[in-house]
Amino acid sequence: MPVSLLARRAVVYLLLGLAVLIVAFPLFWMAVSALKTDAEIVNPAAPLWPAEPQWSNIGQALSQAPFGRWYLNTAIFGVAATAGQLTTGLLAGYAFALLEFPGRRLLFLVALSGLMVPFSAIIVPMSQLLGDLGWLNTYQGLIVPNIASALGAFLFRQFFLGTPRELGEAARLDGASEPRVFLSVYAPLARPMIAALAIILFLQNWNNFLFPLIVVNTTDMSVLSQGLSVFQSQFTTQYNLIMAASLVTVVPVLLVAVAAQRHIIEGITLGALD
Amino acid sequence: MTRTGRDTARGTRAAPPGEGAGPVRRPSRRGAWVLGYAFVAPTVVLTVLFSLVPLGMLLWRSLYSGGVFDFAPTFVGLDNYTAMLAEDGGRALGVTGLYTAGFIVLTMGAGLGLGLLLNSRAPGVARLRAPFVIPLVVPVVATALIWANMFAPRFGLVNRLLGALNLPQADFLSSPGLALLAVLTFGAWQFFGQNVILYVAALKSVPRDVLDAASVDGAGAWRRFRHVQWPMMRRQTLLIWVVTTLTGLQTFTQIYVLTQGGPDGATSTALYYVYNEGFVQFDTGRANAMGVALFLLSLLVTMAQLWLAGRADRAR
Repeated sequence: MPVSLLARRAVVYLLLGLAVLIVAFPLFWMAVSALKTDAEIVNPAAPLWPAEPQWSNIGQALSQAPFGRWYLNTAIFGVAATAGQLTTGLLAGYAFALLEFPGRRLLFLVALSGLMVPFSAIIVPMSQLLGDLGWLNTYQGLIVPNIASALGAFLFRQFFLGTPRELGEAARLDGASEPRVFLSVYAPLARPMIAALAIILFLQNWNNFLFPLIVVNTTDMSVLSQGLSVFQSQFTTQYNLIMAASLVTVVPVLLVAVAAQRHIIEGITLGALD
Repeated sequence: MTRTGRDTARGTRAAPPGEGAGPVRRPSRRGAWVLGYAFVAPTVVLTVLFSLVPLGMLLWRSLYSGGVFDFAPTFVGLDNYTAMLAEDGGRALGVTGLYTAGFIVLTMGAGLGLGLLLNSRAPGVARLRAPFVIPLVVPVVATALIWANMFAPRFGLVNRLLGALNLPQADFLSSPGLALLAVLTFGAWQFFGQNVILYVAALKSVPRDVLDAASVDGAGAWRRFRHVQWPMMRRQTLLIWVVTTLTGLQTFTQIYVLTQGGPDGATSTALYYVYNEGFVQFDTGRANAMGVALFLLSLLVTMAQLWLAGRADRAR
């Protein structure tokens, strides 16, 4: 191997290593900070690694706030919203692509208009609307407004436009009803795409902060991110406990991310480049 | 619009709903109608109810004097807009513009640079793509708290490093000149992985044989990038720019956790202003005026995308 190629590869590895370090170091900082004593964490001269890891910090942080309840709320919200988005997106995408009915074009434009209205622009009227419905601080208030997914409908439509129409025609000739054609012929084809979208939508819902913030203001109904921000405002200077609480919220997501990284990368690409 | 979409519209005009109107091409046609409406109904109804209705409320109420506890709001024309722009809102738009510009440069620059490195043929490099996903998927509140700790005055990581190098230390998040830079650093860290992933995908879409042909013609790495890869990724770069810009414009959680818009409004972005006016100060009129501004800015970005994409298609 020529020397110039070796040198070039060394530079590639060096730069990538540096970038990975920049990504990973804050998480490492969180972990070691969570295990420090009160004295260690505010001492600028203390070594990076705690002299004696304080594992009890984690238990102490967990006992100071209802993390179990927040986990439960986040899971209910994450699972229900994701299942809703996938279902409505799959159904609408299929109908817009392969079923014929009057007004299809107009209805598709209505569905797409959801992409043009960023949620952040309408947070005030959204909270007033949910207030009028009596849905503040409820699960339906968290879940129902998030069920329609314009992006999901759009992506599934693209997908089904690329599937052969002959499959459905053949099934119809065999006497299959329209719902059967969808369930037995076309829906199974979308399985890989459902997997890629499911994980990315779930993580988005799991990490959603702004929406719960404007719909929920009780401790009982808070999601994990909200709870963590409240925890921080109550224990402002107990940095080790704050980092321990952050650790508790980060680790499960990190495990999911590592296990499902291929689907996540696929989902990100699907959402932005198609 | 696609070919099938146009066909349907034509078919619809030729065959209005009713007894035996038009040739029946398929026995299951009426069944398909019902199923079609049933399948699109959830998406359409929920989009109208939770996107279009709030948008209408936003536009309408931005013209009325606001207050959550104001039960008989009066029409004030564009007063909310002038008040919003004259006071902190104008500054918030400036902060948002500055933040978004920095956000685009940092995350797209890092995305393209690291994308090119990850696209190299060095062994094992492709597997290094995965770590960049992590900051994207862990909760922003948690990572924001980590960065708040790293930016902390004496014992934070950044000040420890500065101290070790004998450089002056600073209280980043409380200093008017540095707070936005600190928030931007965190925001870019949190998001740049997405642009890395997207540029890797974009670079993969450039056919290898075209690149090899350029190599055979004697083009070095830079000329291959400048004359082959960059022009062939124009569409993806445009899409990446749109997503990045929209993300930057809607920056909120970073600000909420790290600075609450402070010190003295130095990091108050447009969306943070909406939240603060609407849910803390309870001046919904001004909050809605800024909401409209955010909506129009997002629309502008999307329109720019369509226009640029159309122009690029014509150029080809």
